Amino acid sequence: MLKFWLTFSSLTTAIIILAVLGFLLQASWPLMQSQGLSFVTGTEWYPYEQLYGMLPVLVGSFWSIVLALLLAVPTGLAAAILCAELLPERGRAALRFSMELMAGIPSVVYGLLGLWLLLPLLESQFDLLTGRSLLAAGLLLALMILPTIMVFSESALRAVVTEQRETALLLGLDWPTRLLRLLLPQAWPGIRVAILLALGRAMGETVAVMLVVGSMDRLPQPLYNLLQPAQTLTSRVGREMAEAVVGSVHWAALISSGLALALVAMLLSLLTQRWRS
Amino acid sequence: MMLQPEKIEPVLPQRQPDSTALQIQGLNLWLGHTPVLEGVDLVLAQTGVTTLIGPSGAGKSSLLRCINGLYQNWQGQIELLGRDIRHWPGGWDQLRSHVGLIAQKPCVFPQSIRANVVFGVQGWRQRRRADALVEAVLRQAALWDEVSARLLAPAETLSLGQQQRLCIARALAIKPGLLLLDEPTASLDPRSKQLIEQSVKSLAASMPVLCVTHDLEQARRLGGQVVFMCDGKVIEQADCESFFQRPKRLESREFLSWNVCEC
Repeated sequence: MLKFWLTFSSLTTAIIILAVLGFLLQASWPLMQSQGLSFVTGTEWYPYEQLYGMLPVLVGSFWSIVLALLLAVPTGLAAAILCAELLPERGRAALRFSMELMAGIPSVVYGLLGLWLLLPLLESQFDLLTGRSLLAAGLLLALMILPTIMVFSESALRAVVTEQRETALLLGLDWPTRLLRLLLPQAWPGIRVAILLALGRAMGETVAVMLVVGSMDRLPQPLYNLLQPAQTLTSRVGREMAEAVVGSVHWAALISSGLALALVAMLLSLLTQRWRS
Repeated sequence: MMLQPEKIEPVLPQRQPDSTALQIQGLNLWLGHTPVLEGVDLVLAQTGVTTLIGPSGAGKSSLLRCINGLYQNWQGQIELLGRDIRHWPGGWDQLRSHVGLIAQKPCVFPQSIRANVVFGVQGWRQRRRADALVEAVLRQAALWDEVSARLLAPAETLSLGQQQRLCIARALAIKPGLLLLDEPTASLDPRSKQLIEQSVKSLAASMPVLCVTHDLEQARRLGGQVVFMCDGKVIEQADCESFFQRPKRLESREFLSWNVCEC
């Protein structure tokens, strides 16, 4: 009986995943037919003129995610090392609890926090009109993925076998050397998984990003200018889905954004599984 | 091309002119509310094996952990080469790089055999160019012939006995001035035991070796000095032959006869 249920559940999950992919492909087909490859390379997004270029949102998503990872990975790793190696048990528990709490905060709260604190700060610091920018999205995403990186990396560091720690100590290696030569290499598979999970979260985040990114459908000028308002894949879907007519090319274009996200998320998931094993 | 084995010379702060390598006086250690070592006095010469024997809980392993600074809350005096180890230049980590300690259970890192040997060697370049050192210490640990053709194989693929010899080689690679062994052959097969004993004896020709063992036959085979400990105290210290032939203390005689001690 148990075997039956396990098989049934596995099959159902696989069918649902395939069905989602099938739906996304089928729903985005009208756009593929009408736009072809220019859908990915086009820079114009004017639904009323049937122009659906995705390049600005791809660039926007890329920069916000890269910035978030650049900020959150070193910070999260440092917090994990502090927590796993340096803090006494009580401090460790407190830091870990606060990180777990942070991970549980709904993303809309982060978005509101961004509106209330981050945007005015960027506005005054960089002399911007509104503060809504890729930088704001990246900073907010960094804050949101920090707990994931910290909690998983800390677990990976603590999983390094005590005997190996003691052996490294017995060889007269000082703490920084033990960290670089033993702890980080041993914990690296876990840290890598933490980064991938955080990347997944950063990619899929919608509401918070939508509130601070500025929702401007154009390429940053120059391309690395993070102080300009921009758009990401998720923020566009979140903003325009309610306005699109079901079955229209506009609707298909938004579904295609979802398809792109789903494919990248699946790729990440596969990589995570591969590295875990 | 055969590499010429490098002679391992311990690198230590100025040696004392006298022949004492380690001198322990009035060592007391409490773990929690339990006295573990009480007034331990011990002297080790510059070379030779000293075996520490005694019943379980006598404080033998704790004594080793005090000597290399894993326990630091002891009272008394421990001098290595005439220097108080509490004031060792560079602190406890530096001290440990002069005092190799081999634990009872071999612990290898999930890396190649070669990487394990040079794990404690300071400096990336030194580790990369340590072929001669690797061969020398593996020979000293009686492991070279078995692993020379597969130095890049994972260390976990070695048998337990080979892993223990790899641990000895790894400890030797940091060029210690004193080698501490905590029941290094417990739970190993007779062949591995024999190889490790041979290795310990040859090492003892050039450095002091302090070896904890429960195996009285092994203590006899290793020769050198024997220190009998019971209940946290040193009961008797003598050379091997006289200890086993003519133990002076009643507790020693009891222990040799019955392997128990009621001190």
